[in-house]
Amino acid sequence: MATVQLANSSPIPRRSRHPLTRSAVYAVLLIGLAVTLLPFIWILMTSLKPASEIVRIPPTFFPEQWTFNSYQTIFNDPKVPLARFYLNSLLVSVGRVVITLFTSSLAGYIFAKFAFRGKNVLFGFILVQLMIPFQVVMIPAYLILVQLRLIDSLWGLVIPSMIDAFGIFLMRQFISTFPNDLIDAARIDGASEFGVYARVVMPNLGAPLATLGIFTFMATWNDYLWPLIVITTHEKRTLPLLLTWYTSQHGQRYDLTMAASILVLLPILVAYIFFQRWIVRGIALTGMK
Amino acid sequence: MTRAAIASNPPSTARTDPGGLRPGQRAFVWGSLIPIFLYLSIFALFPMIWVVVLSFFNYSPVRVGDGLLGLGGRNPFVGLGNFIAMFDSTQTAQLFRTAVRNTVTFASLVMIANLAITLPLAVLVESAHDRVKGLFRAIYFLPTVSSAVAVAIMWGYVFHPQQGLLNNFIKLIGLTPPKAWLTDPSAVFFGVPLAMIAVIIAYVWQDFGYNLVIFIAALQGIPHDIRDAAQIDGASGWQEFWRITLPLLQPTLLLVCTLTMISSFQVFVIFQVMTNGGPQNQTRSLTMDIYENAFRYQAMGWAAAMSLMLFAMVLIVTLVQFRLLRTDWEY
Repeated sequence: MATVQLANSSPIPRRSRHPLTRSAVYAVLLIGLAVTLLPFIWILMTSLKPASEIVRIPPTFFPEQWTFNSYQTIFNDPKVPLARFYLNSLLVSVGRVVITLFTSSLAGYIFAKFAFRGKNVLFGFILVQLMIPFQVVMIPAYLILVQLRLIDSLWGLVIPSMIDAFGIFLMRQFISTFPNDLIDAARIDGASEFGVYARVVMPNLGAPLATLGIFTFMATWNDYLWPLIVITTHEKRTLPLLLTWYTSQHGQRYDLTMAASILVLLPILVAYIFFQRWIVRGIALTGMK
Repeated sequence: MTRAAIASNPPSTARTDPGGLRPGQRAFVWGSLIPIFLYLSIFALFPMIWVVVLSFFNYSPVRVGDGLLGLGGRNPFVGLGNFIAMFDSTQTAQLFRTAVRNTVTFASLVMIANLAITLPLAVLVESAHDRVKGLFRAIYFLPTVSSAVAVAIMWGYVFHPQQGLLNNFIKLIGLTPPKAWLTDPSAVFFGVPLAMIAVIIAYVWQDFGYNLVIFIAALQGIPHDIRDAAQIDGASGWQEFWRITLPLLQPTLLLVCTLTMISSFQVFVIFQVMTNGGPQNQTRSLTMDIYENAFRYQAMGWAAAMSLMLFAMVLIVTLVQFRLLRTDWEY
């Protein structure tokens, strides 16, 4: 009887339940929240002010006079065909996502479920790849692209990164836990080896594919250094390139540059709201950066 | 082969027999792997070898060499010349050493600041109510998904001396703000240039979400009975953190330190866009130096040697982690 009571009333003191401690915890968490969100809100507010209000000292935080002038200026700028730049970024990002998901899951499946000669050497090479920073190999990668005549082409942003060592590694980890019985059952039912991969393994990889897909998409969408090296024609720029170019043209017009920043940030922030669960889970699972 | 025969010899569990692939499997495995590794040898293995080869040449793509891959002739072999030149007193070499110093300073301070924020914050998020925990975590993670270019432009404006959010906030609480965050070379705090501090603030702001999420996951992995036991024994909150939580987090802590350090070595955008290396090269990073030498001055041999130095830095940090990561206990 005594033990039952003990379990119910939980004699363990829960310090975090103390109201003072609890409000201190929330105070710190809210300060963190403010520091995280304020810069975003600040540039959003800046983009909605008329140019004359921005240069005022001391500045206002919220606009006294709300205006979409800055956005209209960007939309109407003939040198900024926005749809084109969104399309460039979208094509490159989606292209890379589709290809990476396919190659990563295929190679990951093979490394997880087949035994063959040379497997350890090949997988070891994948692991070594994980350790090489992009900046170390970017010069030869550029020279290869010159040879392939892919400089100043959106293909040049996709073709060198169609196979992702991290993706293969991640997929192998997930597929290792996939039940062999299901694979064998499909074989007994007469499925081809590729059929087993495409119709049995692949459909069961929802969570890791979503995680890898989102990471690849965001990394490509936000990538700057590689497009900076590869792309030279204005119309072929991706959004981050457009943003630095636009800022170099309108350096002191903070209403315009902040509006342009918002336009680049917006799609990814909206996507994040929908996919945030997968992203956070993916990092917790893989410890990736 | 009959179905019964296949069933009695499950193909996917053929681990006991390495190399034991059935013909259909062999076609599938090698039919997939050969293209993949052919591709990787062009776009991954070859660049690794080529960057080492390039570092032994005084190579520039604007000159036409007469040997293989444009090497030799007017792009002469210089042996270890590029590496020896790193210790010269030429302006280029001095700039390189400045860049290495800046990068190490940046990475070390980022790591310290990042851990000092994320570890306590993770503990606080974990102690929050379940219903808001996810919300806090999601919002704290927001900056990490944002475009680095937009973040750099945004923070450049936050640091604006007159109009910027930060200086106006500093004035609001009654302090004297610095007259320029990003452009005054004489502004130095404890030996660290103010512009560098500004870049660190912006980068930590953008990057802290990753480590926060990793720490929260690690905290959730600590079994509750261990903490309950400590609480029954009368441990205070501090004692529990220092004696229980922190030691159990040690492997995660080490991993996070390494990852943060390595990724900070590779930061490019925020330097290039926010300060462009200024003032007076106080925020010129190694990646910026590599980029400018390779693609602006076309000095690709020299830049290749520099990028191998970047690789050496990454390697050293990784090896130190491997040495330290010799825990022989588990919970």
